[in-house]
Amino acid sequence: MDKYKNIWRKNLIKTLTLGVFLFLLSFTFEPYNQGQLALVLMLFIGVLSLTVLTGASGQISLGQGALMAVGGYSSASLITHLGASIWIGFLVAFFATAIFGLILGTAAARVSGPYLAGTTLVIALALPSVANRFESVLGGDVGLIVDFGTPPTWISNLIEVGYEQWQLWVVLPVALTALFFISNLMATRAGRSWQAVRDDEIGAAVSGIPVARTKVIVFVVSSAIAGLGGALYGLRGLVGPSVYPVSLSLTLLTAAILGGVGSISGAFIGTLIVVFLPDLIDWAISGLAVSEQLSNYLPALLTGFLLLATIIINPAGVMGAGHRKKH
Amino acid sequence: MKIRGSQTKRWVISIVAGAVASTLAIAPSQAIPVRSEVGVSATEIVLGMQLPQTGPASPGYNKIDDAMRAYFDFVNSKGGVNGRKIKLVVKDDTYKAGLTISTASTLINKDKVFAMVGSVGTQTHISIIKDINRRGIPDLFVNSGYSGFYIDPKKYPTSFAALGTYVVESKIEAEYLKANYAKELAAGKVGVLYQTDDFGRNVLAGFKQQGVTFPPANTQKFVAGSQALGLTRQVQALQAAGVTLVVIAAVANATAITIGTAAKLGFAPKWLVTSVGSDATTFKTILASQGTSGAVASALLTGVISASHAPSPGEDTDEFVIAFKKINDDFNVGPDKTWDNNVLQGMNIGYLTTAALQGAGKDLTRKGLIAFMEGKGATLSSAALSPLSYSSKTHEAYNSFWIGAYDANSVLKPIGGTRVLYTTDSAAGPITVSTYKRPAIAADALPKVG
Amino acid sequence: MNTFISTLITGTANGAIFALAALGLVIVWRGAGVVNFAQMGQAMFTTYIASNLIASGNSYWLAFIVALISGSLLGMIIDLLIMRPLAHKKSSSATKTLAGTIPVIASLGILAILQALAGIFWAGEERGFPTPVNSFYFKNGDGTLPFSAFNLFVIGVVLIVLLSLTYFFTQTGAGLGMRAAALNPEVARLSGIKVSRMRTLSWAISGAAGSLAGLLITPSTNLSPNTLDLILIIAFTAAVVGGLDSPLGAVIGGLILGIGIALVTTYGSPENVFLAILFVLLAVQLIRPNGILGGKQVRRG
Repeated sequence: MDKYKNIWRKNLIKTLTLGVFLFLLSFTFEPYNQGQLALVLMLFIGVLSLTVLTGASGQISLGQGALMAVGGYSSASLITHLGASIWIGFLVAFFATAIFGLILGTAAARVSGPYLAGTTLVIALALPSVANRFESVLGGDVGLIVDFGTPPTWISNLIEVGYEQWQLWVVLPVALTALFFISNLMATRAGRSWQAVRDDEIGAAVSGIPVARTKVIVFVVSSAIAGLGGALYGLRGLVGPSVYPVSLSLTLLTAAILGGVGSISGAFIGTLIVVFLPDLIDWAISGLAVSEQLSNYLPALLTGFLLLATIIINPAGVMGAGHRKKH
Repeated sequence: MKIRGSQTKRWVISIVAGAVASTLAIAPSQAIPVRSEVGVSATEIVLGMQLPQTGPASPGYNKIDDAMRAYFDFVNSKGGVNGRKIKLVVKDDTYKAGLTISTASTLINKDKVFAMVGSVGTQTHISIIKDINRRGIPDLFVNSGYSGFYIDPKKYPTSFAALGTYVVESKIEAEYLKANYAKELAAGKVGVLYQTDDFGRNVLAGFKQQGVTFPPANTQKFVAGSQALGLTRQVQALQAAGVTLVVIAAVANATAITIGTAAKLGFAPKWLVTSVGSDATTFKTILASQGTSGAVASALLTGVISASHAPSPGEDTDEFVIAFKKINDDFNVGPDKTWDNNVLQGMNIGYLTTAALQGAGKDLTRKGLIAFMEGKGATLSSAALSPLSYSSKTHEAYNSFWIGAYDANSVLKPIGGTRVLYTTDSAAGPITVSTYKRPAIAADALPKVG
Repeated sequence: MNTFISTLITGTANGAIFALAALGLVIVWRGAGVVNFAQMGQAMFTTYIASNLIASGNSYWLAFIVALISGSLLGMIIDLLIMRPLAHKKSSSATKTLAGTIPVIASLGILAILQALAGIFWAGEERGFPTPVNSFYFKNGDGTLPFSAFNLFVIGVVLIVLLSLTYFFTQTGAGLGMRAAALNPEVARLSGIKVSRMRTLSWAISGAAGSLAGLLITPSTNLSPNTLDLILIIAFTAAVVGGLDSPLGAVIGGLILGIGIALVTTYGSPENVFLAILFVLLAVQLIRPNGILGGKQVRRG
């Protein structure tokens, strides 16, 4: 027990340090980079959900974006129709997506490898069409307009907070909570037993771990985290089918792979790469006579190459080497 | 007090500067006061735009930005607006709202645009419209006919349309059907194929407003974007229902698929295509690359009814078409500058933007531009044959459409030879005949405002 | 004309093309143990090549053959440059559990690259694509029969492909070698089969099959870098429904999907098509995880 308490304390210190660092850093940023950092943190939560799934079950999902949509829609419909606060929205998104993950996990626990990848891809495609079926509640094709709102007066009286800065201030504690939750989970007994199931199902069953139930629980946790990320992601302006397309799921996967599958710090680095890649490309080709045709497709092209290069050179991703040593 | 002081100062400076500028007309750029408005310098105005340049929703629309830029480059070659060159920064959002939000942030915070202009897409624009408006950034000539953006200026004070709304257009089309196809309507022989999004639903709402509804058996739909799965079943169902006139509310490629499929099925109803899907170039390009001969494609398009607020791009005697076509030839550096509806639309937005910037005056501010649009925007003219309806009560653009049919040369021509413009609103207003006469284009093809 | 009959026929005609795409997936799965999510990207790419040849005045059939050849070449290149090095990589502890999904991720990267390249080369505009035979429905007095010569052509092509694949896999040395290499690489290697070469061969055949599907589906979907994305998803579902390792299963799966989609469109709502696809996919995996005709042992990942 003491060992876990130590891990718990260490993670708390790590998380708080990161939080204070990012909070202070945000003051030196222009609004643009404040917004970008907020986006990084939102997507990071989404990538974390994939890290949980991959790290704990060795499975890849191409449908995390759809789970984010579940979170986004459940929080946005509460906010829009019942006037709930965004914080209530986060809570509900977390639990609603957890329930959804329970249903999905029960079905998907029997599916693995490329089957799961393909199935989750179909989920990512099919789920947004539900919004069209329940137009009055979910807003149909147009979606539900929501946003982060403005800071409460006790903050805005104290200090002037820009729109992007407020975004960041809302996202930061939520992302840190998710990070703290996940890093503890992966380190404690539950996480260990998940990895045992991942590495050797039969062995795990022999040592008394309920394999089927464990797999479902991994799905539930992963879904709940994705839903939380999705609720935040929707608050950028809109919850609608075109906010959570299949390509969002692929972006999350790309970030997870680039950073290193199953690694939490890798998830963060991967998300940074994915978010800032278009800026990097803009910067790199500024001044060069690049045709519009080429510059339009350059981000997609480079992302593809990066993904391939990572898989071929070091499938464990940027953080892969360190990650491997630990085990 | 401080604010008032600086405003007064600004006012004095601008008067002095204006006087100096008018006396020293040789070097106007130096005389223009250095101002602090975002995206405006003494020599440049930075405008932002977003649209799908790549991805499934991009075909056709990805030509609009190139046409706009061509017009701005033309304006710049003539010295710009009040000595300022117009710079258009375009961002590709691939028609995904998640990306639209990011690219909007880039345009606003990084490129520091003065205004957004000509952005394409309803689903994407809806994700940023609240933020743009909250920041007071002018959001001019939005390429969407979704009336929700424009009919309540209190909600979205800075957003102005570039198109007639879907509802206005479909009300006028419904009225045309009632006048000319009453027998078919009464016999339940009129059907509809629509895409299940805001566009398709708004078109249905417009028809309903005029009392035109479609029996369930005559109503077919498809999910926007899924036309790749083919529309054979929908067209067969309309054929089986025995309809003799079909209204199509779909984007251009789906319209081409529908009419092409019907031809294969030996189904030849009268078609009424809403303006969004009515693009002769897209139609003929798709059919030609399918191996359909040009003659057959033209024959399929001949007689198709549609509506427009502008001249047909094929009307080569129209003075605006002639002028815009020349500018397109001379200045468009985009990957595909084939003259069509999209290019005409882009040129027209370029023209309107230039006019609005002229109207907002030398002392260019966001507030000033919006005030001009609300106060005098309705007096602007363009290639369109319809007047503009901007006011403090609505930010809708064109309120009038004429009904035409494609002739054998794939040019939309007024039915019966004379062009009649019908006017209405996006609500329950009546439909009347408009007497608007479009002002002529200046010899140098530049707007003359202010 | 009977609505039900015409729905069935339309569904069958579409289903036949879905079957071809599913066949491509099955061949690579059997031969190399990879679900190739880039397949319809490859098909899109080679169909663009064909489209350009036709646009510059060449005959359809020349373009057709060039597309099939470039499809198999592209398949081989993908295997040689990417999939083979991946398969030969020693799996570390961190990646061992990912072994089944690493090729999936690689194929997604390939898809992104192919779509971007097509956009760069061919401007991302949408075009149509011709059919080799008349696609106008047969005339029947004043009305029409619910199918065209092209529909018959497609069904004929699918049958020929299915029969020749069956013959290839069961009767020829290369086909048997491919199966052996896929089922048990070690034993195959000991008995003198060049396992790597067999895998490359399966990529080539699958590439050609995918290209064929692209050539036959684009007349109805049109051609742009993304139009075939949906077809991949349908083909995957079809392959899983039929059994990922069964060519005949792929054809049956394709037909089930084609007819199912047509039925939902006609009698339900087009808005439910994607949900129906998802439902079928989940139902099959819960009730019959190996698909209708899938073998028990072959499932991996």
